[in-house]
Amino acid sequence: MLKNYIKIAWKVLLRRKFFTFISLFGISFTLMVLMVATSLFDHAFGPQMPEREMDKLLFVNTMREQKQEGGFMTSGPPSYHFLHNNVRTLQTPENVSINSVFRTVNSYVNNRKLALDLKHTDQAFWDILDFNFLEGAPFGQQEVDGASRVAVINESTRKQYFGSSKVVGKDIVLDQVTYRVVGVVEDVPVLRLHSYADVWVPISLRSQDFNKARLHGSYFATIKAKNSADIPKIKEEYAAMMQHAERQHPEQGTELYSFPDTILESFARTFLGRGQEAGLSMLYTVLAGLIFLFMLLPTINLVSINISRIMERSSEIGVRKAFGASSSTIIGQFIVENVFLTLLGGILGFLLSAAVLKIINDSGVIVYADLGLNLRVFAWGLLLSLVFGLFSGVYPAYKMSRLKAVEALKGGTK
Amino acid sequence: MIRHLFKLIWNRKKSNFLLITEIFFCFLVLFAVLSLVVHNVRNYSKPLGFEHENVWLLTMRPASDSTELNRQNLEQVLQRTKAFQEVESVALTTSNAPFAFSQMNNNLAYGQKEIMANEYLVQDDFKEVMQVQVSQGRWFGRQDDASHHQPIVINRALQQQLFEGEDPLGKLIPRNDSLNYQVVGIVEHYRPSSEYTAEEPGFFVRIDLPKNENAFYGELLIRVKRGTGVAFEEKMVKELSGITKDWTLEVSTLEKMRQNKSKLAIVPLIALAVVCSFLIFNVALGLFGVLWYNISRRNGEIGLRRAMGASSGQIYRQFIGEVLVLATFSLLLGVAFAVQFPLLQVFEVESAVYFIALGMAVSIIYLLVMGCAFYPSRQAAAIHPAIALHEE
Repeated sequence: MLKNYIKIAWKVLLRRKFFTFISLFGISFTLMVLMVATSLFDHAFGPQMPEREMDKLLFVNTMREQKQEGGFMTSGPPSYHFLHNNVRTLQTPENVSINSVFRTVNSYVNNRKLALDLKHTDQAFWDILDFNFLEGAPFGQQEVDGASRVAVINESTRKQYFGSSKVVGKDIVLDQVTYRVVGVVEDVPVLRLHSYADVWVPISLRSQDFNKARLHGSYFATIKAKNSADIPKIKEEYAAMMQHAERQHPEQGTELYSFPDTILESFARTFLGRGQEAGLSMLYTVLAGLIFLFMLLPTINLVSINISRIMERSSEIGVRKAFGASSSTIIGQFIVENVFLTLLGGILGFLLSAAVLKIINDSGVIVYADLGLNLRVFAWGLLLSLVFGLFSGVYPAYKMSRLKAVEALKGGTK
Repeated sequence: MIRHLFKLIWNRKKSNFLLITEIFFCFLVLFAVLSLVVHNVRNYSKPLGFEHENVWLLTMRPASDSTELNRQNLEQVLQRTKAFQEVESVALTTSNAPFAFSQMNNNLAYGQKEIMANEYLVQDDFKEVMQVQVSQGRWFGRQDDASHHQPIVINRALQQQLFEGEDPLGKLIPRNDSLNYQVVGIVEHYRPSSEYTAEEPGFFVRIDLPKNENAFYGELLIRVKRGTGVAFEEKMVKELSGITKDWTLEVSTLEKMRQNKSKLAIVPLIALAVVCSFLIFNVALGLFGVLWYNISRRNGEIGLRRAMGASSGQIYRQFIGEVLVLATFSLLLGVAFAVQFPLLQVFEVESAVYFIALGMAVSIIYLLVMGCAFYPSRQAAAIHPAIALHEE
């Protein structure tokens, strides 16, 4: 039966090439935009090198200090002192890394300026995160303790600064300071704010920051849980620690806000968060609304095209009805046909999105972007095209199935 | 004739419902995207109010907390940069330098009015460095050293919003209990944040180093001679870090910063425009298909009219007219919706932007539907009455 339906669908598609083209164009283009959007979303928030175990990772990136009177508020990255004394001491996490917010340093090679982003990290950083090393290895505890001038650089820096491939042991000069290269890693996309840099050096090189006993500074913490079930426990422990820190604050009535968040949570908190709430549900609502609005127009278009396509076949429906087919059988047939069409469009949309992602990657619009069509995105695309197909097929099929056999045989309604 | 067409469409409103909603949403999308484009293009075409070529921005971040030492270093840096042959003039400013990512706002009150304005702290030489043109009054300078009030130069947008036609020169604006700002000059334009942002009210406050002994300013604007390149930058940074030791020094050209800013504004706009044009194209194709099908189903009617003596031109005009009426229905809805934006001032955008976008969107939709109806109507008009009636 299903095979028959698909056969009919294929024949119908071939008969009306122009309509087929319109439908396929609409479906594949809409899917392409959605796929590119999901890929961008994944690029920003999904698991990716070096943050692969996303379900076990939490990030601390802000400390908000709010005075009750006057509405005075300061917000920014926390200090090393705070992270070292309060976050590293947490019991539940498996490991905690403290690293600096990256900053730009200059390097001059052959009369050319190279602006590189430099990040100071501890040794735990390399244990928690999963970098792909092309050469050498990360610096170890010994180098961190000894404040050695060693550096891990990324692939692009290797190419731009050295131009050769064997660079471990060579020197790199940044802001007039010489570092010895110990490792080369694959480029990390800039949207991975907590791991991204061009050059990573030991955090102990900034030991002058270590003893400044204030809350604000320029450091992030990356927390790794033993397993994903521990995440809520870590959040609880963190909240208890924050309450303690608030009580210890020398000024009465100061409220402190800082949260260990997943990447998506910290993004939502920046734009939509209020107080304790991260605003994640709000973010999802907004995203869903946007997707709905975007899909609305192509869907209406597809529905009206489908109505025309189906109307054309009213005599066929009339014959089937006259021979005793029920409404639901006819609806079933048209939905199968429509899903077949959308799946076809889905495949096309796939090829299109692969092409577009390649263009985005090559254009360098996003620094070190490596957008790809992974299986997750593929699954999303497939699901979306199915929803799309059902959405645009049900109404016309329903409308047609209600036609009386006699009218349908005569050529449809007005 | 037109009333007749309206009646025809109205009678088939159920089957035309989808087309009407489609055109309606299509119009809304067009209106939104066009508003954005018009807004950006209008801003882009206005003058920036300064010359950014050959200007570099040196950002200095001290490592220690000692104000005295930092201040000492800063003054040495100033002297040293001025002494370079390649440098024409320099001026200290704050993190809201042209094309930088930060902003500083302050409340200004005059009479009953109070507005938020951008505050730019700059040294006297800023006028030479950025080549700002004062159109009324004068720029501040040495002669203000002895003044009781703090001299400020305001831009035209601030003058219009705060003084509303009054002559602002010499007027006092309270800054705090003990100090007043005094307006000494007006510049026509100053839009430092990006080429695509609208003119915002703003004012320049004088940085008077000798007066504030502990103040520190981390940004230095440097106008270099034409053709000065990276070689000098390297030399300058090397020499300056000899003075400042472990400070973080960063040099970037304003041109580079401008490109970054405009990329930030342009890339989403292009992405949006591409998505929008594909949506419209999609709708156009759909419309074309549906119209073709609908018109070809009315062969009998066309045959009858032709047999009764209607010319093919009349048939042609009827179908184009019908589609236009259809579009008018959706546009009425759409315009009623869109016109709320300028009326309610939803975003802080000039009403003119909305009206231009509205006009453009309406005409594009009309052109679009006419384009889609052109081929099917011509085919309908070419039908021979005998054949059409025979089919029936």
